[in-house]
Amino acid sequence: MTSAAPQSTLTFPRETFEKLSPHPYLLAHLQQASASSPPTRPNGRTPEQFRTPHINNGSLTHAEGSAVVRIGDTTVVCGIRGEILLASNVAGYRVDKSGTAPSTKPGYNEAEELDLLVPNIELATGCSPAFLPGQPPSTLVQSLSTRIYSLLHSSSLVNGADLRIWYQPPDLSDPDRMRDDEEEDTPEPEVKAFWTLYVDILFISLDGNPFDAAWAAVLSALKDVRLPKAYWDPDREMILCDDSVAESKKLQLNGLPIAVTALVFRAKEAAQSKDKRFWILVDPDTFEETLCDESVTVVVDGEKETKILGISKAGGTTVGSGQMRDIMELAAKRSAQLSRILNT
Amino acid sequence: MTDRRRINGPSGGTSAPIFSKYLAKTPNELLERPTRSRPNNALRKMFLKTGVTPSASGSAYLELEASKNPKSTAPGLSSPSTSGLKLTCTVHGPRPLPKSAPFSPHIILTTHVKYAPFATRKRRGYLRDSSERDLGVHLETALRGVIIGDRWPKSGVEIIITILEGEEDQWWGDGIGHGNTAAAEWGMMSVLSGCITVASAAIADAGIDCVDVVAGGVAAVVKGSAKGPSPNLVLDPVPSEHKEIIAACIVGYLPSRDEITDLWVKGDIGHGNQNEDTAQSASYEELADSAVQAALGSHRVLIAALKETADVKIGRS
Repeated sequence: MTSAAPQSTLTFPRETFEKLSPHPYLLAHLQQASASSPPTRPNGRTPEQFRTPHINNGSLTHAEGSAVVRIGDTTVVCGIRGEILLASNVAGYRVDKSGTAPSTKPGYNEAEELDLLVPNIELATGCSPAFLPGQPPSTLVQSLSTRIYSLLHSSSLVNGADLRIWYQPPDLSDPDRMRDDEEEDTPEPEVKAFWTLYVDILFISLDGNPFDAAWAAVLSALKDVRLPKAYWDPDREMILCDDSVAESKKLQLNGLPIAVTALVFRAKEAAQSKDKRFWILVDPDTFEETLCDESVTVVVDGEKETKILGISKAGGTTVGSGQMRDIMELAAKRSAQLSRILNT
Repeated sequence: MTDRRRINGPSGGTSAPIFSKYLAKTPNELLERPTRSRPNNALRKMFLKTGVTPSASGSAYLELEASKNPKSTAPGLSSPSTSGLKLTCTVHGPRPLPKSAPFSPHIILTTHVKYAPFATRKRRGYLRDSSERDLGVHLETALRGVIIGDRWPKSGVEIIITILEGEEDQWWGDGIGHGNTAAAEWGMMSVLSGCITVASAAIADAGIDCVDVVAGGVAAVVKGSAKGPSPNLVLDPVPSEHKEIIAACIVGYLPSRDEITDLWVKGDIGHGNQNEDTAQSASYEELADSAVQAALGSHRVLIAALKETADVKIGRS
């Protein structure tokens, strides 16, 4: 850090400073705060400032729902395709009468039990020099996919009822018979198949904060999904779908959970820091991600009041309950902003 | 063998939805089939933009507009009849080869072409299949001669193309009844041509020295419609718009040197056709010449896009 050694006459341009000693570079930026101006990060944002999201829905032809989400220089494409899982292909699944269906049991999450949501993230699209194709999926990709997967299920975002395909068998009983045992005769509707949603998330460009961007893309694509009307054709013994747009239906999503990630940047030595020892940086870019080892991701749903769907914190020892409260407030603000964009 | 590093979905296996109209014996061809509304020698509108991936040394995005059937009024869910082509390309490098690599006096070019899982009517897997590898090899051949490789000894450059939306091999109605034999992967030709053009833009964006910017072009001989029964030569064919494609040709073309870096012809024109109708039917040479014409068209777009980027870059600094 040049300011720490005033006797030195050696100066570099910004880019060189950034490459040579990234940690002091970021620290120098954050410490420039004065009473009039808040601290700024090298990317020009204040620590509490998020990047503006841009969302575009329905641009893919072959997907039932799709979204392109751009947050700064991070761009994600998410495409959702529906495929059909026959109930007869589910191991140990009894013919599902509406009365005895396992879905009537409390706490039964159909989508989870039958694995009907299949999210996968692909980073090996050349989106960043760190992830090039030709190798097996990296640890980051695997952990991101798993986090999306568990968040989809734990938030029970998708209604199991939307994914069922029902069949009402016709009443074939003899019309001459007396109606003394009619409750046995009227056939109950049964579930013949389920929609399985393949959620494929491709990064076009990666500049930090992959989880928030991927989740926003999944959410926006799920909102865009339009499943055709599917029915069981007893003559052909297969599931057929109807072509008309009017018959198709959208998914009913439970809430609108938004993921918000923040990093904690710490001054390494006590001497370096004047009064402040750490800064909380929201929505980090790649440069900041390489310099911080403590990260907090919260998932909040703030449609009426802010509910917390998940908190995960990794590394570091800085964040206490006070900082957590600050992050929560920031997350609530972000959630309001994003849901406004998602709902338009 | 399932891929344990990814989330695989239900073990029972799923199938793509089957729409009731797929089962009709005679699909309503007049209403559903997209038709070619452009003249035979006109290309589809092309959108090309560089610099979509700031973290890469160079990148580009290419989109070809989807063809529509003017007669169909209400689009159904099952068959938004054709999709346009959507490609993104990133270039990483040139950068030093790892120490373990043997000495190379020139740059080592690696190409990866991958379809997104949602790129085609049938869902694609995450592992590269043979057609994707084939595209990668063709792309490498087309680009190798263009880059001045001697300027970067001991270095490597990676060119990665993601196909967000691919070209279809045939109109979906044609697959009914006679299985999948008729489709000879004609869509791959347009995809390769797009790959060459978009990679060329990304290489220029990365500032890698080239002898010229290479552009891809496709031409095809298609069986004539009711109006003209003889085979027609068309530029930039959309497979779903034609009932039968006899042959197709793709070139990678360098306009300023009048050189071809990659030439690939599929299908059979045959001499029999030529004897039947000498005036109308095409020879392989004519086919290749038309493909070059198509390449010249995309070259014009390429140059305009690169000029635009250059203007922005100069204006900024």
